[in-house]
Amino acid sequence: MIIEIAAQGGFGGITAASLRKTIDVSDQPERMRQDLCDAFEPDQLARLASRPCTNCADRMTYRITVTEDRGTHSFTLREAQIPPEMLDLIDQM
Amino acid sequence: MCFLLHCSHHHPITCIVPPYMLRVLALRGDAKTAEMARTLLKQTEKLRDERDELTRAGLPPAHPISGAYAATAVSPAEGLCCPDRRIHDGQFRAALPGKLVRSEGDGPTGIPDADTAYDAAGQVFSLFAEEYGRNSLDGEGMPLVATVHHRRDYNNAFWNGTQMAYGTGDGKVFRTFLELSVIGHEMAHGVIQHSGGLIYENQSGALNESIADVFGSLALQRALGQEVHQADWLVGRGILGPGINGAALRSMKAPGTAYSDDLLGQDPQPWHMDHFVATSDDNGGVHINSGIPNHAFYLFCAYLGGRAWELPGRVWYRALQTLNNPMASFSDWADQTMDAAIELTSRGSIETVMLRRAWKLVGIAI
Repeated sequence: MIIEIAAQGGFGGITAASLRKTIDVSDQPERMRQDLCDAFEPDQLARLASRPCTNCADRMTYRITVTEDRGTHSFTLREAQIPPEMLDLIDQM
Repeated sequence: MCFLLHCSHHHPITCIVPPYMLRVLALRGDAKTAEMARTLLKQTEKLRDERDELTRAGLPPAHPISGAYAATAVSPAEGLCCPDRRIHDGQFRAALPGKLVRSEGDGPTGIPDADTAYDAAGQVFSLFAEEYGRNSLDGEGMPLVATVHHRRDYNNAFWNGTQMAYGTGDGKVFRTFLELSVIGHEMAHGVIQHSGGLIYENQSGALNESIADVFGSLALQRALGQEVHQADWLVGRGILGPGINGAALRSMKAPGTAYSDDLLGQDPQPWHMDHFVATSDDNGGVHINSGIPNHAFYLFCAYLGGRAWELPGRVWYRALQTLNNPMASFSDWADQTMDAAIELTSRGSIETVMLRRAWKLVGIAI
C-alpha cells in the first residue's frame, strides 16, 4: 500500500507551507505498518469523509490517495473529520 | 424544526428547504438541528442533477431579514467582569484540549507558549469587554480554552468551535503562532460564530477572515497603545521562519506585500475588487480576498486618525452584531458598516463620508 498525503489551507493559506508526504507501507516497521493499514483502509477513509465538518475556520484540508492491489482511491478530508490518533499517525509518517 | 424532521423522512430531492437555508441552520441551529441540516446538505450535494439548483440557491438573499440575531449583543453585557482562561499543553499530539497547565489567576508556568497564550487571551478579552461591552467570545462569559504545542511541527492555528489551538510551526516556514494579532484573529472567529456566523466560503468566508484580522490587529494596537499612523497593520508579524523573506502573513495597509519569497511566492492578497481572485482552493480564496475588506477598514481608520479600536472598531463590531446574513457579500457587509456608522454618529457625518470613500477606493460602492 502506498499512501500519499497533500494538505492545504490553514490560518496562513500558504500552499508551500503545507504538508506533503508519500510512504510505502511495506517499508515501515511492523507495528507502524499495521497502524497505517488500519487507519488508511479505503472503506475507513470513505466513512471519515462522510462525517459532517462542524467548524472549519482556519482548518487544513487533506487530499489522501491510497494505492493498493485493488486500485487507487482518493479522498478529501477536512482536518476536523480526522480522528486525533490518525492525525498523530500522519505527523509521525 | 418540525419542518426539518419531516424532511428527513423523505428523499432529499423532495425536500424544499434550499441549501443556503440548510447552511444557515447548520451554523446557527442547536446540536440536533445542525446535525439534521448537515445530513441533508450532504445528501443534496451528492445529487449531481441538483448542482444547478445548488448554485442558484447559493446566492445571498436580497433583503436580509431582521430577527433575534439583530437584537443581541449590541448593548453591553451585564455582570461583565473577568476572563476565565484555561491554557492546555497539547504535548505535540492532536487530541484536544490536552493537559491543563494554567487556569485563571495562576502564576506563569515557565512554558513560554502557554504564558503568551494566557496573557494574549486576557488582552483580547479586555478589548471586547472594555471597548464593546462583550462578555467573552459568546457574550455570556464562556471560558477561554486554548491549547499550545498542538501536534508536531504543525504550521497552523485555529478555532474549532469551542477552543483555540496553536501549533509551534516547523521552524522553517513558520517559527510560532503565539503572537497577539494571530491569537486575536482566532478568538475573533469565536466572536463571529456566536454573532450569527458567516459561512466559511467565498465572499462570506473572506469576510469571516477579514473581520478576524480586524479584531486581531485592533487587539495588538490597543495593547501597544498605537494610533492609526503608528501601527504597522500587519497580521502575524514575526511568525514566518528565519529564512523566509517576509515581514508577516498579511498586511492590511498594503495587501499583497507581506512577503515575497522563493519558497512561498508572492503574498496573493488583492486590495481592490478588480483583482478579486476566483478560485476553488482555500474555501474559495477566503484567506486571499479578505485583503479587500481588510484594506477598506485600514483606509477608514487612516482617514479618521486616532485610535482604530475606538470608533472604527465600534462600527465594525456593531455591524457584525446586526448583520443577520451568514452568506453576506462584500457589498452587503459594506452596507452594514454604513448602517452601523450612521447609528453611532449620524447620517451625513464626516465619519460616514470617510467610510463611503474607503469602500469606494477598494471598488465597492455604497
